Amino acid sequence: MPTKAATSQTFLLSKRRRSVHWFAPLRPKLVSSIKRVREVVAQADNHSLWISDEKSLTDTLLNTLASHPGSLGKIVLLYQPTLASIPVLARYFRHVVFGREKGFLPPVELAEVLAAPHKADLFIGGIVDDDAKTLTLWRGDLTTLTVPFTAFPPSGDGIIPDYSAFAVIDYGHTVQLGAYEAATEALLYEYDPRYRRRIARERRKEDRSFGAALRRLRKQRGVKRSDFGLLSAKTIARIEQGKVDQYHLRPRTLGIIAKRLAVEPGNIETY
Amino acid sequence: MPVELKLPVHLRRARWKVKILEKETREPPHVSILRGTDKWRINLRTGEFMDRRPKPSDVRQELLDLIQGNWRWLCEQWDAKYPDNPVEGSEE
Repeated sequence: MPTKAATSQTFLLSKRRRSVHWFAPLRPKLVSSIKRVREVVAQADNHSLWISDEKSLTDTLLNTLASHPGSLGKIVLLYQPTLASIPVLARYFRHVVFGREKGFLPPVELAEVLAAPHKADLFIGGIVDDDAKTLTLWRGDLTTLTVPFTAFPPSGDGIIPDYSAFAVIDYGHTVQLGAYEAATEALLYEYDPRYRRRIARERRKEDRSFGAALRRLRKQRGVKRSDFGLLSAKTIARIEQGKVDQYHLRPRTLGIIAKRLAVEPGNIETY
Repeated sequence: MPVELKLPVHLRRARWKVKILEKETREPPHVSILRGTDKWRINLRTGEFMDRRPKPSDVRQELLDLIQGNWRWLCEQWDAKYPDNPVEGSEE
């Protein structure tokens, strides 16, 4: 999903020179001194992206901002900020994400996700709250998704999630909880209604499967799922959703569907 | 252990991965092909790519051949992980 407002520029608050190479896809301006922090504040705007792995530089930035009137965009802190600094960060940045460095993707992967057009569909890191039994995940557009531990049921092969071994891996495609590796897409689909609606819309448009063709044809004919006589609405739904393969359909079933929709059985998938 | 198809070094260095992930209960049986921020899914029932984007043609033929050669193993792994949604799905 392309982000509506593109990042205007990226500022990298770091004393590690190598970090510029890690974050190269974002073409960051390295800010490694207090003097430089004060200089770049004037260049920042509401669409700026800040990445900091250096608390002392972030503190200088916040101090410099004390009389700044507006928002300076979004900020990623690759360390755990103090409790007292969080309201200040929230005052000056539209989105603030933070956590131990291990709670984020490795820098090279992080940079690639932050620069990706579909960054909102990938995770960059997160925080486990053992008390509340929730996992808050940071998305590439720096919005959040909080999911309960119950989002991770044991797998059929007996693998259970280990929350003490949390990591985001595979360029944000995967949430790793020890041996348990959950698909980012599945979490977004379950817990973000807007994502779910968008994906469902895109898949319906793109889907060339038999089920999708059947659905398009049925809609075109103005026929309800419950209008197939001997076949239940549930059966039609399962076929449309791809839970029943076209090749596993009994000829009689296919015949009933085709007759109701006034087409030859072999022509359904052409719709 | 997570389900990941073992790939030759040169494919791993090129950042390719083939996995069966958890929490895919709402999807038909499939394998995920990962490379950087891109992801492709291949339906284990039909052998077809499930999405038009990224372009299926961007996946190396060598990788597809490896998946084809390990098809049975991948189906077994899916069935073990998702016994309620096996590759050999039935109509009712």
